Amino acid sequence: MLDLGKNLSNLIMKILTRTTVDPEDVEVLVKGLQKILLQTDVDVKLIFELSENIRRRCLKEKIPPGLTLREHVMKVVYDELVKLLGERQASLLGKKRIMLLGLFGSGKTTTAGKLARYFQKQGLRPAMICSDYHRPAAPEQLMQLGDKLHVPVYVSKEKDPYKALKEGLSKFSRYDAIIIDTAGRDALDKELSEELKKMDKICQPDEVLLVIPADIGRIGGKQAEEFNKLVGITGIIITKMDGTAKGGGALSACSATASKVKFIGTGENLEDFEAYDPVRFVSRLLGMGDLESLLEKVREAEFREEDVEKIISGKFSLQDFYNQISSVQKMGSLTSIANLLPGLGHAIPENLLKIQEDKIKKYRHIIQSMTKEERENADIIHSSRIKRIARGSGTSEKEVRDLLKQYGHAKKIMKKIGGIRGMKRGKLQQLVKQFGLKL
Amino acid sequence: MFKFLKEKISKVVKSLSEKIETKKPVEKKIEVEKLVKKEVKKGIIKKVFEKVTKKVLEKRISEKDLEEVLENLEFSLLEADVAFEVAEKIKEDLKKNLVGKEVRRGKVKDMIIQSFKDTFSEILDVTKIDLENIVKEAKKENRPVILIFFGFNGCGKTTSLAKLGKWLRNSGYSCVFAASDTFRSAALEQLEEHAKKVGVEVIKHKYGADPAAVAYDAIAHAKTRGINFVLIDTAGRAHTNRNLMEQMQKIIRVSKPDLKILVMDSLVGNDAILQAKMFNELGIDAIIFTKVDVNQKGGAILSVSHLLNKPILFLGTGQSYSDFKEFDKEWFINQLLSE
Repeated sequence: MLDLGKNLSNLIMKILTRTTVDPEDVEVLVKGLQKILLQTDVDVKLIFELSENIRRRCLKEKIPPGLTLREHVMKVVYDELVKLLGERQASLLGKKRIMLLGLFGSGKTTTAGKLARYFQKQGLRPAMICSDYHRPAAPEQLMQLGDKLHVPVYVSKEKDPYKALKEGLSKFSRYDAIIIDTAGRDALDKELSEELKKMDKICQPDEVLLVIPADIGRIGGKQAEEFNKLVGITGIIITKMDGTAKGGGALSACSATASKVKFIGTGENLEDFEAYDPVRFVSRLLGMGDLESLLEKVREAEFREEDVEKIISGKFSLQDFYNQISSVQKMGSLTSIANLLPGLGHAIPENLLKIQEDKIKKYRHIIQSMTKEERENADIIHSSRIKRIARGSGTSEKEVRDLLKQYGHAKKIMKKIGGIRGMKRGKLQQLVKQFGLKL
Repeated sequence: MFKFLKEKISKVVKSLSEKIETKKPVEKKIEVEKLVKKEVKKGIIKKVFEKVTKKVLEKRISEKDLEEVLENLEFSLLEADVAFEVAEKIKEDLKKNLVGKEVRRGKVKDMIIQSFKDTFSEILDVTKIDLENIVKEAKKENRPVILIFFGFNGCGKTTSLAKLGKWLRNSGYSCVFAASDTFRSAALEQLEEHAKKVGVEVIKHKYGADPAAVAYDAIAHAKTRGINFVLIDTAGRAHTNRNLMEQMQKIIRVSKPDLKILVMDSLVGNDAILQAKMFNELGIDAIIFTKVDVNQKGGAILSVSHLLNKPILFLGTGQSYSDFKEFDKEWFINQLLSE
């Protein structure tokens, strides 16, 4: 199933190299796309609608000037998917009462913590209310998250969800945002859905966010529809995007509730939370590399002019080495970079990248533990200094020696590059960049 | 239960059997060459042929009869979250069993249902786990039976563990829980609260402690007191996270479990197969499916069984401790195929 992305890329490459649109080619593409979407749990009805739109637009619309056929078709596929999922979302700023709901074990409580962290990062003061008194230790979980973030949490001593809401809302009325965590429920369960309705009435939320795991099957649409009937969903948060699931079930939820994706949970830590980005999400759904954000990221991590100067002149200190490592890190984890490159994401074994990543992290720590003098002139680093650096950076002496060896290699290569006369500046920069990526 | 999948299957069975039952022997035209003239010219015999159409009668179930229905079947199965490869298998099996067969009137439906039954039965055919025997073996060695639970985040590990604890107690066994989820907020409190309700002791350390050490202590505790079962609760983990998978391997190494139990959320769609495949690197011995009451589709059960070929122990069917059903192959197939 991991090969799906590769397949679609190949499919598009192979059949869409021509300049004119051939209905048969489009049909092959649509069939391939259907297969992929089916396997990512997208609702069957939606898939047929989507295929119809793609067929129509590919065959009837004129290709805009400046675009190749391939680009045009890609754009149409993107557009149609984004139409369902939503454009980039407006932030939640100014929204005061935010209620989270969803099925059992979809990650509501963790998301409540992540959302609180998000508000904090915006410079706002969030508070949380626990109205889940079904699951054992749910209040404790929210309280422990609150402790970590220094965010107040209101828990009803009587274990009454309605009371918790009433009292919590009045207690936190001065806060910028109040996040309400509710119990997991099956939207078709009568008792639980009544409870939700009543809570909604008391709370009068500004936002009702449905929390959906990325790996949910086609049941996602049905449940979302029911939830929407009960209280009216204003947005969707997709969790567990760090697994292998592509989030196709969420598409059904979007179409069933006519609401859009707002956030994506990408890991178990409170920081693993992103605002939804349609381009990235669709790329992932189809398993296609996302060149656009890669370019953007590379631009951010651009090398500084003076670094290049230094390298040309053959002076390459540990400090420069450090800057290089850092700029590679700025681009995000190597794993995520590899995923952005079409084809590469499949080609590199994952643990290899993980090892590289850990190594780079360690290298940074080691260099940080050096004095300024040592960084400028690596030759003075001898055994007693190595001992000190290892202790200071929490690494072993062997690792410090490894780093020095790596640095030696890098220096040699840099000298060679610098030695090639007549090399154009741009080309050199490119080479440096390549070297940086290969570290 | 599994209403959705059942409806889909019965629809297919109905439309297919109707189609074949009402099928009359079809007239088919084929072209044959017929000798019309024979003349001899200069010692050479010349034969003249003419093309003539001849009518033949077709009676068997042909691939063409099935085509449309099979396509429909595939979509229906996919809609019920049956994974792609499993849907293909069911489709192919049906084709193999029906194409080219001559069927007596009125027997078509039975034949189709039998084909489904055989396929499902084959998918779910695994050696059952004999818990009593495992207990006996362990007793001989003077140690408790060790069960370890693992799975993706939010799949229902702790709840299933508590339900199994209750079930074991009701069956007359003693057990102890090991709180090896030392990561998630309030995981310890959650397990303790369950334990209190089911009347089982919990062995725990602090948050952030080594989960393997917790398991080790719980086993030692059970040994000295002659407790029958140790149930180890681990933190939810993404199957893609190398570090957490390695941590799991360590827990397994230290605790040497009799059964490694994968807990799977039955609401998961096609990803179920991939999740199961990757968790199987740890060596799965048995599976528990949760939240079955929410899902009318049940496709994941077929998919994962097909892939892993490992027995399903229990189904979680609700919020209370007694909502825990021993999985039975015949019962499951009956649920899907009965009228």
